[in-house]
Amino acid sequence: MVERKQKILEIKDLKTHFFTENGIAKAVDGVDFDIFQGETLGLVGESGCGKSVTAFSVVRLLDYPGKVVGGEVIFKGDDLLQKSEDQMRKIRGKEIGMIFQEPMTSLNPVLTIGFQISEVLKIHYKMGNQEARTKVIELLKQVGIPIPEQRFDEYPHQLSGGMRQRAMIAMALACNPSLLIADEPTTALDVTIQAQILELMKNLLKQFNSSLIMITHDLGVIAEIADRIAVMYAGKIVEHSDTRTIFFNPLHPYTFGLLTSIPRLDLEMEKLESIPGMVPDCLCFPTGCKFHPRCVFATEICQREEPELTGVEDGHLVRCWYVDKVREESKKIGFSRRLSLVE
Amino acid sequence: MLSYIIRRLLMLPLILLGVTFLIFCLFSLLSPMERLATYINNPNVLKNPQSAQRLIEKYHLDDPFPAGYIHWLKSLMKLDFGWSSTANQPVWEAIMQRFPATMELVFYSIIPVILVGIWLGVISAVHHNDLLDQVIRVTAIIGWSLPTFIFGLLILFIFYGILGWMPPGRLSAWAQFAVYTGGNFKHYTHFITFDALLNGRLDIFWDAIIHLIGPIITLSYISWAYLLRITRSSMLDTLRKDYIRTARAKGVEEKKVIYLHAQKNALIPVVTVAGMMIIGMLGGVVITETVFTYPGMGYWAATSAQQLDYGSVIGFAVLFAFIMVVGNLIVDVSYALIDPRVRLE
Amino acid sequence: MNRIIKKLLSNTTSLIGLLLLLFFVVIAIFAPYIAPPLFDDPYQIVRMTWDIEPRPPGFPMADEMRVVFESLGKQVDRDKALFGTAQGGYDIFYGLIWGTRTAFRVGIITVVFSMLIGVISGSIAAYFGGWIDELLMRITDIFLSIPFLVAAMVLTTILGRGLDKVMVALIAFGWMGYARVIRGSILSTKQEIYIMAARALGVKDFRIILLHLLPNTIFPVLVQASMNIGSMVVTAAALSFLGVGAPLGYADWGQMVSFARNWIIGSPGNAGKYWYAVFFPGIFIVLFVLSWNLVGDTLRDILDPRLRGEL
Repeated sequence: MVERKQKILEIKDLKTHFFTENGIAKAVDGVDFDIFQGETLGLVGESGCGKSVTAFSVVRLLDYPGKVVGGEVIFKGDDLLQKSEDQMRKIRGKEIGMIFQEPMTSLNPVLTIGFQISEVLKIHYKMGNQEARTKVIELLKQVGIPIPEQRFDEYPHQLSGGMRQRAMIAMALACNPSLLIADEPTTALDVTIQAQILELMKNLLKQFNSSLIMITHDLGVIAEIADRIAVMYAGKIVEHSDTRTIFFNPLHPYTFGLLTSIPRLDLEMEKLESIPGMVPDCLCFPTGCKFHPRCVFATEICQREEPELTGVEDGHLVRCWYVDKVREESKKIGFSRRLSLVE
Repeated sequence: MLSYIIRRLLMLPLILLGVTFLIFCLFSLLSPMERLATYINNPNVLKNPQSAQRLIEKYHLDDPFPAGYIHWLKSLMKLDFGWSSTANQPVWEAIMQRFPATMELVFYSIIPVILVGIWLGVISAVHHNDLLDQVIRVTAIIGWSLPTFIFGLLILFIFYGILGWMPPGRLSAWAQFAVYTGGNFKHYTHFITFDALLNGRLDIFWDAIIHLIGPIITLSYISWAYLLRITRSSMLDTLRKDYIRTARAKGVEEKKVIYLHAQKNALIPVVTVAGMMIIGMLGGVVITETVFTYPGMGYWAATSAQQLDYGSVIGFAVLFAFIMVVGNLIVDVSYALIDPRVRLE
Repeated sequence: MNRIIKKLLSNTTSLIGLLLLLFFVVIAIFAPYIAPPLFDDPYQIVRMTWDIEPRPPGFPMADEMRVVFESLGKQVDRDKALFGTAQGGYDIFYGLIWGTRTAFRVGIITVVFSMLIGVISGSIAAYFGGWIDELLMRITDIFLSIPFLVAAMVLTTILGRGLDKVMVALIAFGWMGYARVIRGSILSTKQEIYIMAARALGVKDFRIILLHLLPNTIFPVLVQASMNIGSMVVTAAALSFLGVGAPLGYADWGQMVSFARNWIIGSPGNAGKYWYAVFFPGIFIVLFVLSWNLVGDTLRDILDPRLRGEL
């Protein structure tokens, strides 16, 4: 299991709302989790469930009209939400690095790759041009970009998608941050490139001893890289445990649904399931458990009352009234059989 | 990139040919007799039908379409635009005499437009939906709705009529005498402000400046309102881009995010509308100069139009069309130069 | 559609614009009652005196003029120049009231016709593509190569004075913007699946343009049109101001301003003497243009998908 080291980040009851003219959208509505040094946490969910908003709340880069309305974000002992904008700026890029989904649009088209990466070093380490250049070329080499001396002076559009994402990674790691937040870093890439990028990230994390919050909707990616997984639905965490437990012993009907909706060779499933319905609009969440309109196990209590996130087993938190029913169902399909085989 | 410039350069003569053809079509709406009037400096010739007919044939004014156009084009290339009855001199000479005055006005007007327009546009976008943004935006809409001729008259009314500061014209009588008749005033650039400095005549320089201020304000404010709008929306658009978030995530200062990361991108589309601004300015020249009786091409063209001096009006149109076409070419090429995505193609 | 109307009404600036517009519509409709005509042609501005010099607001009709109108068999009901008289004794109030009709006529006719020409040429260019597109777009470029006001001035000079000629000139050089906009939006819509489907089903070209493409692309054009009415009216007024537009004495705002030109600096020792000669015509033109711009600006913000939801 994961070594319990120093706690890097602790999020307590984070609430982020968007004040639109059509009403208040509770994009993140009471999220708790923590990350230890060197650990990778996967934040999983369908698009619109609030996982990216959670990440942007941590570094306080929310788009208008979003606002953190409650909770604490304790990073290395200090609450980031209490920091001044100036103090925050010193943390962004230096202590917390970010990687975004679209390497195409996340790099500035009119500035060279070299300029954009060395800018981080110049800001946080006050490096000179020449020093920064040497360091950036070394970084580019580390992320596997060939002929880095030449790439330094090139513009983003001259690089392929995979190369751009490598450059983004180099930028995020330039100051050796203790926490990395990656928002769907592989979604926009080809499958073969995805695997390369994931491999690269894994290696670099080990090398730099950084923690990672990996945001994705792709369970394959998460299985590859995460130590622990938090599944989000409609602004709340619905299940939280270590990766193997989530994959082999899912106890929330939503996680269960996600897992049966990906094709797997190791399970005897008659057909590929899909979760009926859609992620609810965050302007008008259903009452009670927010998943109940789409849930096969739902009964009258689910419509009325929202369950708490409760620990069922050691370190396995679930937000559901019918944990036992789901457990039986996943046994039937064979998730847990696989678990016992592995152990 | 090079191929793009070459392609644009090759298009240039075609567009110019098209423009001259269009103007020729307008010209052809006149009867041969009216067109003949643009070529002669003595109206009495027209009274004799026979000699008039002879002249019409001499100038190929009655030729069928392609031949007539070619003859007209040939005379254009020889800079023979006919006779301006308004200026009482050949059209080309009249144009050349007034060209520097107009260019001096346009030159001084472009500077405040670009500085103020872009600066306010960026500020407005950065303070999106704040009070400041609303004030700038409403001011721009009102400015945009205020026709040049009314605005110009207002300026004249306030600053000359009431305050007596900015007289119309280009120079006061004494300065005009010193510059044109006085003898030892040398014309290096034909921009009076420049020449006055080069001649060491600060009094003339000052006189030229106070005459220029009214026309400059009038000519520039509409383009400024326009540029402000374009910059604002382009900047708003850019500030929503992913790479701006990237820059912030790197810990870049907000000032640098705006003026380095965003502004560089936001100004690219602004450059393209610079062409549109040239259109607005050149059109505005006619009104502005007329309001302030500033002796440039626009004032002359308006006077010619009132007096049905067709030759002058046509010559003016050809020249302005040329300036526009060449100006647009320069804008397109510089657009390609500042955008690396195009430059490195 | 309902959403658009609701937004237009809930936004302060566009509400001001709509109210102003309503004000002008009322003036235009009730012009014969507000300012009863005294000439057979109602667009001929009533003259209060033969004097060249402008007269201040409240100036009563001179006796010699009253005699003229009465000999023409007209009943003179309104015998005070409410806003004063312009150069030549023309009643400013009368000119502005009937000028409102002129403004609507010029604005709407020129915009409708230039929009028609633009939409037709633009959609043909976009739909057929190839050399037709190339040719039509180069023609558009050429028309755009002469500054609008200069082109309109040249054409009216050649055609002669008169409001109809002004409108012809404005239409001849005012259609290119629409052609470009509609071409752009058709080019992107053309790739949509339903158009492909219609083509595959063998629907005729003309039918596809009319029934499938235009309804989906016409909105940006309409926004442009609403903003264009103001600028067309201003350009027409500018031509009158330059002395190549409406004939002398015709009820036209631009002409009213041009009457003020020679008097703007007042007389020695009394600079603001003739303020009314430029003030009232100026206010009318500015408010008219402003109302269209306010409505158009809001309309554009509403319809611009990028700005949706955060007006």
